[in-house]
Amino acid sequence: MNDSEPKPQSHRTIFGIVFLMLCGLTALSYWIANSHLMDEPLHGWLAMIAVSAAKAFLVITFFMHLWWEKRWKYVLTIPVILLGGVLVLLLVPDVADRISTYSKTRSGHAPLAVESPLESSH
Amino acid sequence: MTTTTHNDLPENGLRYQSAIPVSRGKVAMWLFLSTEIMFFTAMIGTYVVLRFGVPEGTWPSPHEVHVVEWLGALNTFVLICSSVTIVFSHEAAKQDDPKTARRWLLLTLLLGSVFLGVKGFEYASKFHAGICPSFPRSSLYDRADTVWLSGLKENIREQIGVLEKDKQSPHSQEKLEQLLLVQSGLVQWTETKVGKTDDPLMQRFALQSLAWQVYPESFSQQEKDGFRTYIENEQLEVAELLKQKQVTLAAAKKKLEELQQEIKTLKEKGAPAKEELATQTGLANKATAEVTTLTSLITPLARRSEAIDKFCIRQSGEAGALNHDLDLQLPMVIPSGNTWANTYFMLTGFHALHVLIGLIAFVVLLPMSLGAAKAGLVENVALYWHFVDIVWIFLFPLLYLF
Repeated sequence: MNDSEPKPQSHRTIFGIVFLMLCGLTALSYWIANSHLMDEPLHGWLAMIAVSAAKAFLVITFFMHLWWEKRWKYVLTIPVILLGGVLVLLLVPDVADRISTYSKTRSGHAPLAVESPLESSH
Repeated sequence: MTTTTHNDLPENGLRYQSAIPVSRGKVAMWLFLSTEIMFFTAMIGTYVVLRFGVPEGTWPSPHEVHVVEWLGALNTFVLICSSVTIVFSHEAAKQDDPKTARRWLLLTLLLGSVFLGVKGFEYASKFHAGICPSFPRSSLYDRADTVWLSGLKENIREQIGVLEKDKQSPHSQEKLEQLLLVQSGLVQWTETKVGKTDDPLMQRFALQSLAWQVYPESFSQQEKDGFRTYIENEQLEVAELLKQKQVTLAAAKKKLEELQQEIKTLKEKGAPAKEELATQTGLANKATAEVTTLTSLITPLARRSEAIDKFCIRQSGEAGALNHDLDLQLPMVIPSGNTWANTYFMLTGFHALHVLIGLIAFVVLLPMSLGAAKAGLVENVALYWHFVDIVWIFLFPLLYLF
C-alpha cells in the first residue's frame, strides 16, 4: 500500500462510528467520576485512564490513519513515550515521595487537611 | 513497492527508495509530534507526581477551586467534534473537493474557537476568585495557621489603605466599612483568641473557623456544621457578656457623673472642702479609668457581635463566605491549592496555546484552494490537531474528574 497516497475511498462511515464511540467514552468517564467506583479512588482513576487510553487509541488509529498506513511512526513515537515515562519515574523519589523525607520543621509548613480538631481530638 | 516521490521506473529497472516511504512534510510532522509527546509527557508526569505526592486528603476537590466538570466535558465534546470535522476536511481535499474541504475546515476553526472561549470563561471565574498563581505571593494558603493570618492581616491593611484614598464612590465606602468590620470583628478577635490560649487544638479551631468564614468551600459539610454551631454559641456568649458590660458601663458612667457633680459643688464651696475635694477627685479619676476600660472591652465585643450578625450567620444558616458573597478577595485556605493552581494553569495554558496555534494554521489554510494537491498539507495540520485532541483526552479526567 502506498503510504503517502491513501486510497481515495472515503472512510466517513468509520469516522462517524469512531466519533460516536468517543462521545460515549467521554460520557463513560463522566459517569465513572460520579459512580461508586470512586469510593475506592484508585479504581476510579484507573478506569478513567483506561477510558482515556481507549479514546486516544481510537483517535490515533482512525483519525490519524494508522489503521490504513504503515506503522513506521512507532519508530519515532514509542521511544519518546518510553523516555517520557522514564522521566516521570525519575521524579518519583524526589517529588512524588517528597513527604516521607520532610523534616519536622518542613512538615509544619506542609499542606494540612482541613478537619475539625475538636472532632479528631476525641 | 513504490516510493512516494519516484513512481517512474528507470530504464535499468532500479528505482529510488527513500529512507521512509512518505512525504518529508509528514515525516517532519511526526518528528515534531514526537517532541510534543515528550513535552506533554513531562508536564503531565510532573502534574501526576505532584498530585499524588501531596499530604493525604489535601488535594482540592473540583468544587473547591471553581472547576466545573460539565464545562470540561463540553470542551471534550467540542474537541472531538473538531477532530471529526478536520478529518472530513482532509477527506474532501483528497476527493479534490476544495469547497467542502474549506467548509469543514471553517467549522473546525469555529469549534476550536468555542473551546478557547469556554477555557477563557473558566479562567476568568478562577482569576476573579483569586485562584491563580501570582507574584510575589498567591492568595492560596496551605493551612489555617499564623502565616496565613499574617497574610490576611496584611492584605486587609493594604486594601483599607487603597480604599481610604478613594472614599468618594459609595461602593468604596461600603467595601471599606466591610473590611474594617472584618479586621476588628473577625481577624483581631481571632488573633486575640489564639493569643489567649496555649491549647494548640483550640488555636487551630479558632483559625480554621476564621478560614471557614473567608472561604467555606474547603470544608466538608460536617466541619461547616461544627463551625456554625461554635459561632452560634459564641454569639450567645458575646451577647450576654456585652449586655453585662453595658450595664456595668452605664452604672460606672452614672457614678462618674455623680462624682463630677459633687466635685463641682465642692469646688464652689472653696477652701473648707479642700480635703473632701481631693478624695472625690481621686474617686472620679478611678471611675473615669473604669469607664475607659469598660469601653475598650465593649468595643471589640460589639464589633464581634456585629461581624457575626453580618457575616457569619445568615437566615439560610450558610457561612458568610466573605470572598464569594462580598467579593473581598481575601487570602484563603485551600490545602495544596497553590500546587493545584500552578499545575492546572501550566497544563491547560500550554494546551490552549497549542489550540491557538492550530487555529492560526486553519486561518492560514482557509484562503488556499484545498484540492488534492493540498491534501497532504491538510493532513499534516489535521495530525497536529488530533494530537492536541489526544492531550485534552488525558487532561480532562486528570484535571476535572480525579
